Amino acid sequence: MNSMHHSAIVILLLSNAVKAGTILLFPTIGEIFTERAGILNLGIEGMMLIGAFSGFMVSYITHNPYLGFMAGVLSGGIASLIHAFISITLRGNQIVSGLALTIFGAGFTTFYGQKWINMNLDVAPQNIQLPLLSKIPFVGTILFNQDIIVYSSYALVAVAWFILYKTTIGMNLRAVGENAKAANAMGINVYKTRYIWTFFGGLMAGAGGAYLTISYAPFWLDGITAGRGWIAIALVIFAMWDPLKAIFGAYLFGSINALQFQLQAQGTTIPSAILNMLPYLVTFIVIVLSSIIVKTKHIQPPKELGVPYSREEK
Amino acid sequence: MLLSLFSYTKMNKTVVLKAEGITKRFPETIANDNINLELHKGEIHALLGENGAGKTTFMNMLYGIYMPSEGSIYINGEKVDIKTPFDAINYGIGMVHQHFMLVESLTVLENIILGLKNQGVIINKTKIKKEIKEISERYSLKVNPEQKIWQLSVGEQQKVEIIKVLFRGANILILDEPTAVLRPQETEPLFEIMRKMKQDNKSMFFITHKLDEVMAVSDTISVLRKGKVVRTILKKDTTKEKLAEMMVGRAVLFDFKKEKKETKEKLLDVSNIEVYSDIGLKIIDNASMDVMKGEILGIAGVSGNGQKELVQTIAGLRKTPKGKIVFDNIDITNKSPRFIAESGINYIPADRIGMGLASDLSCIDNAIMRNYYKKPILSKCIINYKKAKSYTDKIVKMFNIAVADISSPIKLLSGGNMQKLLFARELLEKPKLLIASYPTRGLDLASTEFVRLKMLKIREENMSVILISEDLDELLSISDRIAIIYKGQIMGIVDSDTVNKNQIGLMMAGKRFKDIQ
Amino acid sequence: MFYFEKRKKIPKKLQITIPVVSILIGVLFGAVAILIVGINPYTVYKSLFLNAFGNWYAFSETLTAATPLLLISAGLILVFRMGIWNIGAYGQYIMGAIFSSYFAIFMPADIPKPLMLSMMVVGGMVGGMIWAIIPAILKVFWEVNEVISTLLLNYIALFVLKFLMYGSWKNPTSYGFPLSKPFPDSAQMPIIFEHTRISLGFIFAILAIIAIWFIISKTKFGYEAKIIGNNTTTAKYAGINVGKNIIIAMAISGALAGLAGMVQVSGIIHFLQVKINANYGYTSIIVAWISYLNPIVCFFSSIIFGGIASGGYSIQISMRVSYGIVGLIESIALFSLVGAQIFLNYTLRWKK
Repeated sequence: MNSMHHSAIVILLLSNAVKAGTILLFPTIGEIFTERAGILNLGIEGMMLIGAFSGFMVSYITHNPYLGFMAGVLSGGIASLIHAFISITLRGNQIVSGLALTIFGAGFTTFYGQKWINMNLDVAPQNIQLPLLSKIPFVGTILFNQDIIVYSSYALVAVAWFILYKTTIGMNLRAVGENAKAANAMGINVYKTRYIWTFFGGLMAGAGGAYLTISYAPFWLDGITAGRGWIAIALVIFAMWDPLKAIFGAYLFGSINALQFQLQAQGTTIPSAILNMLPYLVTFIVIVLSSIIVKTKHIQPPKELGVPYSREEK
Repeated sequence: MLLSLFSYTKMNKTVVLKAEGITKRFPETIANDNINLELHKGEIHALLGENGAGKTTFMNMLYGIYMPSEGSIYINGEKVDIKTPFDAINYGIGMVHQHFMLVESLTVLENIILGLKNQGVIINKTKIKKEIKEISERYSLKVNPEQKIWQLSVGEQQKVEIIKVLFRGANILILDEPTAVLRPQETEPLFEIMRKMKQDNKSMFFITHKLDEVMAVSDTISVLRKGKVVRTILKKDTTKEKLAEMMVGRAVLFDFKKEKKETKEKLLDVSNIEVYSDIGLKIIDNASMDVMKGEILGIAGVSGNGQKELVQTIAGLRKTPKGKIVFDNIDITNKSPRFIAESGINYIPADRIGMGLASDLSCIDNAIMRNYYKKPILSKCIINYKKAKSYTDKIVKMFNIAVADISSPIKLLSGGNMQKLLFARELLEKPKLLIASYPTRGLDLASTEFVRLKMLKIREENMSVILISEDLDELLSISDRIAIIYKGQIMGIVDSDTVNKNQIGLMMAGKRFKDIQ
Repeated sequence: MFYFEKRKKIPKKLQITIPVVSILIGVLFGAVAILIVGINPYTVYKSLFLNAFGNWYAFSETLTAATPLLLISAGLILVFRMGIWNIGAYGQYIMGAIFSSYFAIFMPADIPKPLMLSMMVVGGMVGGMIWAIIPAILKVFWEVNEVISTLLLNYIALFVLKFLMYGSWKNPTSYGFPLSKPFPDSAQMPIIFEHTRISLGFIFAILAIIAIWFIISKTKFGYEAKIIGNNTTTAKYAGINVGKNIIIAMAISGALAGLAGMVQVSGIIHFLQVKINANYGYTSIIVAWISYLNPIVCFFSSIIFGGIASGGYSIQISMRVSYGIVGLIESIALFSLVGAQIFLNYTLRWKK
């Protein structure tokens, strides 16, 4: 009896971990593609905030979480175009531009979100039990009794991996991030490729943000993403620019998030500041360890990451 | 000149490419000045000229990397506008770049189909492999499609470049100094491939500055000088000597007379060192060599065989886990670059902008890079920028460096002037040993001569030079001895008066000196 | 088709025009944002301006806000010039505040003021320095990306502060509010102008920016920093100990951010709490960049951004215009500035 109870808690915890992980999975996959194309976008936190805010707002107004999600995705994409224009067309410093995007996202959502603070959503995407798959003991209830957005994130990872390694699209985008000059000489439009994948990164950051407010934390607060954008950037290094490895990173942090809430709900004696610090502390340790691994195993980030490309003067 | 052009065009052959009045102006120079050329079907057309004559600029316009300031290009009689490499590929033009346009982390197969629009979305490996096999069998270009580019030798990479161009169905090929990266023995097989392509009615522009190669493989030769076509001539109507004269504009080719020296005093002794690359590959393998006082030691080898890493280890920029480097009776193994420079070794790296110079900083900041921490430039931790400025002025005057304003970034200087400043800065430190990597690369003739004479003067003053060069003639004429490096090993150190090019070539391919005698 | 053509010389004039125009573009977009929520931007900006520069007291508040900005951006100029992306001034500031507050909270209140303040200054600087040296060492030895590590340390610092404020450092008589006990008089920085909040910290800030100017433009360390910032390979080639220089520069930068935190708690707030305006750490990044990493220009930009910050607080209270407007103006100004860098080296041309 008691053990039944415990396993129910564990299933709930892990099921929430998947939800919390999904918030990070979208932007991590997006940033992997952006960085693979040679553009460093440090503005994820800002784009996630914008996605979270517009997702929340549209869901609130339309009472349709899916419309809200789409709005969040799109708004993240639009925000990324500022960064794309500055770093691709104007060849500006990508680090500064990305930071500016984060400050922009925070300022924008604080300014327009003033009226929405502490409002709650009364709609949420419903869980759908997948036939057969959800009957798998333990795993089935965790992974296949989720909402449609979580399912789409599974599909995203598979498609992302396939595109990156098995298609000409992925090959061309990797070439652009590794050696833009050679890619250009082979007739690939470097600018266009970088715009597309920076935009994609923005869409995904928007998706992560929107999923946060319409499902995981259905209310509005200033700075609601609380640094998840930065964790996503760290996860890109942890995943070593591989979409499949991004799953582990995202769900690991999802688990920490879920555990943190579970413990707080149970009234633990651990101070909440320590619990809240946990994701950042773990990310910090993970980023140090993965940097050491990247260095000793000679894994190279995309060679021209953050390097502006300009065709020679004509 | 007009007459010869006329007689040349009269021949009854199909013109596949025609350039008419091509001019290319850059903010500072005119790189191409009214160039008129024709390329015929099934022809190997050599473009001969010194560094900076405008060969590469012209080819880059054919390939859509630059756009001409004036003039037009016709392909099969039709006027075309080549704005991007993509346009060029569509017109059937393919380019084998001097610096390969390959993505190192991708496989051979991926590089070959890179950027192709007709491959669909999903990569069909079996089909592509079949096509690659056809091409490689037809032209004897053997490659393994699954290997990553970084795993290949330079020669193999060049084959990938050629397959890539053929795969795109190019009929007009531009080969930009294809032999520069090859050993002497590898050039003939390349020419074989070129001849086979010619038989298949493909037309080629062959860019080079080497006269022997021109005579060996080309049908027609255009000589470029200072951005202009001096003359276009059939190979059968000319000789090496005539071409040389056209190329440099005067008949003399310099010959450096140097006194034989009998010094037996060792200055540098490198024994059994081992170096690993950034990605952990062993790049210097148990190498030993020595340099005498008052000697120029040349280092020959196909680029990428460890010559860079070898001298960087001597200069303290890389570490060796074993072995020993002794300089002037001091152990300098794994000492800091500063310590080694202070001991009297100065290093002119091949990569000027990436290593030798700080491109965004002023000429002044660059000029004092070796003495900013010493009197009189520095006193009590404060840099005297007035003295730094007058020091820079002195260098600029002494070495005749063309510079508008020594306070503006050095990247605004031309490549030759940057190189002169770098050379001057290292030379003025009065090193006991000067390590010079490709010191004449990209220099015009006058500057090349100037730099070579300076190195000989160092030798006169009983100081020593290690000279890395890809130009075997340069090595043979200047150095006393030549060390040949292959896969990070020293194949032998030979006397430059007794060795011949063929022997050096064999050693560059991995034969030991004792095996070829 | 538009294309960029390389300039032969960098026009000096643009180095002033670009930052000024960038700030104006920020203000302009801010006006549009305000208009969208149905408020008259003119009245907002007028009020913001008057609250920042309208009278001596308003201006003194601007200088009060400019003090931490100047202190932090002085250090940032040094590291940014070396190409080290210290985004961690936020956390270093918090650590400075925590370390210095330790003395104010736990040392006997009757320690002579100069001694107490000296201990707090040193404590604050050491706190900030530790928080900056950690990512510097990780970068130098294991190539850990400092943007990410410093940012994560910001969050960690914030939770360390929260941990203390909700835990053992909380004043038992603060009715559950997360505040420390008030600092004794000996731990409060003297005010240098009567009836204002401009403290001795302002003098520190001016000294700091002069020191940084001197280091950058006169010393050997400044020269080496320039080379490292251009290209670390060149720096190693020139015999410069890159790692040592990076760690020293980060230590200086962290110490100044820590000092800013100390100045804030000791000179203005007079106790430790969760909200200690650590966002100055982010604003300073903008200040440093808008100034083209030039210390002299930085002095003036700090005052401008101090004014925007101080005026922004005022209009939030008086007109209920969200403080988010400050972030909007700042970020758009920064976007414009980064985007316009290209015009320093290139001109825009048109060709068919």
